[in-house]
Amino acid sequence: MDIRFEEAEARFEGRTVLHPLTLSLSERRIGIIGLNGSGKTTFARMINGLVAPSAGYVVVNGFDTVQHGEKVRAETGFIFQNPQNQIILPILKEDIALGLKSRKLSRQESDAAVDAVLDRFGIGHLAARRAHELSGGELQLAALASVLATEPDILIMDEPTNQLDLKNRELVRRTIEGLDENIMVISHDLELVEDFDRMLLFHEGRLAADGPPADTIRLYRELAR
Amino acid sequence: MKTLYVEGDSVLHRLPPRVKLLGLAAAGIALFFFRSIPPLAVAALISAAIYASLGIGLRHSLARLRPIFLTIAVVALFTLLVGSAEEAATVLLRLTSLMLLAAAVTATTGIGDFIDEITLAARPLERLGLVKAADIGLSIGLVIRFVPEILDRYRAIKDAHRARGLKPRILTLAVPLIILTLKNADEIAAAIDARGIRAQK
Ligand SMILES: Nc1ncnc2c1ncn2[C@@H]1O[C@H](COP(=O)(O)OP(=O)(O)OP(=O)(O)O)[C@@H](O)[C@H]1O
Ligand SMILES: [Mg+2]
Repeated sequence: MDIRFEEAEARFEGRTVLHPLTLSLSERRIGIIGLNGSGKTTFARMINGLVAPSAGYVVVNGFDTVQHGEKVRAETGFIFQNPQNQIILPILKEDIALGLKSRKLSRQESDAAVDAVLDRFGIGHLAARRAHELSGGELQLAALASVLATEPDILIMDEPTNQLDLKNRELVRRTIEGLDENIMVISHDLELVEDFDRMLLFHEGRLAADGPPADTIRLYRELAR
Repeated sequence: MKTLYVEGDSVLHRLPPRVKLLGLAAAGIALFFFRSIPPLAVAALISAAIYASLGIGLRHSLARLRPIFLTIAVVALFTLLVGSAEEAATVLLRLTSLMLLAAAVTATTGIGDFIDEITLAARPLERLGLVKAADIGLSIGLVIRFVPEILDRYRAIKDAHRARGLKPRILTLAVPLIILTLKNADEIAAAIDARGIRAQK
């Protein structure tokens, strides 16, 4: 994994949401923290090209996010803040198969890939269930399965334990721990990211701290006071 | 009712999606060739029997079909006002048959299958360079997916009015419904991009 921001800036309707940022990321597990509205989601969306920089550029594994948007999005999997909105087809296995369509697999190959990823997360029994009937934890795992089915190099998760009860939070936390992909996790749940390799703290649209989690979290607690 | 699809093991469930869609198209055309009441009444009865064979249950069926049926009733009523009773009955029977058949197809066909079949059917248009077949399939799949969701949201907004003791009015219902739906559509569009679903040719 190799992500580079070069003086990249994000602006919405004339308001600067992320000030020009130069940064390079290659650690396997990166946590992103910060207050509400500090620019975390915007930063993450710039990585997969959903938000184009208004100045500067972002390069992911050698591909510019604007010029090679499709390639960048094939390299990155993204779990949205509200996973309900990323399950596009209501039946879980249909949804996973939809994500695999661009691979032009045969029906059998596609079915096998769907089964494999459901097995990986131990949710084979949910295959024929409807997304809206799933519990929060199941939905989060379902979103994870549908995104990882396409084998991205980098997985970005936007508040994966948000709105989960204690039990589901634990389930998702353990699942994330078990992932061997490169992961980047935005979270208000500090326990989830405290043992990551690197931690970024955003504050008012700027990178306020960047380093080992313990140091970054300390600064965050001070800022929040 | 949150998905139009209803799980089951009826004959229609097992029929290939293509047969169902072609059958529905053929029936739709045929219905417009009949202009008198008796054959249309028979058609409506057959359609009702087909729909009943899905085993959805009367109460549930009524809930599912009510919005479309109300629309049909309005059209029939209008026909009665500007035309004759016979014309109105023709319209009522014809559209009701069509509604029942179409509802039977959507209730027994998964969205994934819909997308596949429609994509396939749009291939000739793609070859003419007019459209991207996969986009047409996806759009129609998304419409089918969103119908129940929009109805749900409508109910939620109505409940919110009730909870706050407000009288539901067209404007206070429609504005939040449209805003929420557009916002949701934006997010779904982002998800489609993020997941590379339209990257296919
Ligand atoms: N599409 C957009 N149009 C206009 N403003 C936006 C848009 N997206 C985000 N913003 C604004 O940018 C700022 C940063 O938003 P962002 O979603 O990145 O914050 P965040 O750190 O993810 O917050 P949270 O913890 O609440 O999810 C906010 O003030 C938000 O209102
Ligand atoms: Mg956010």
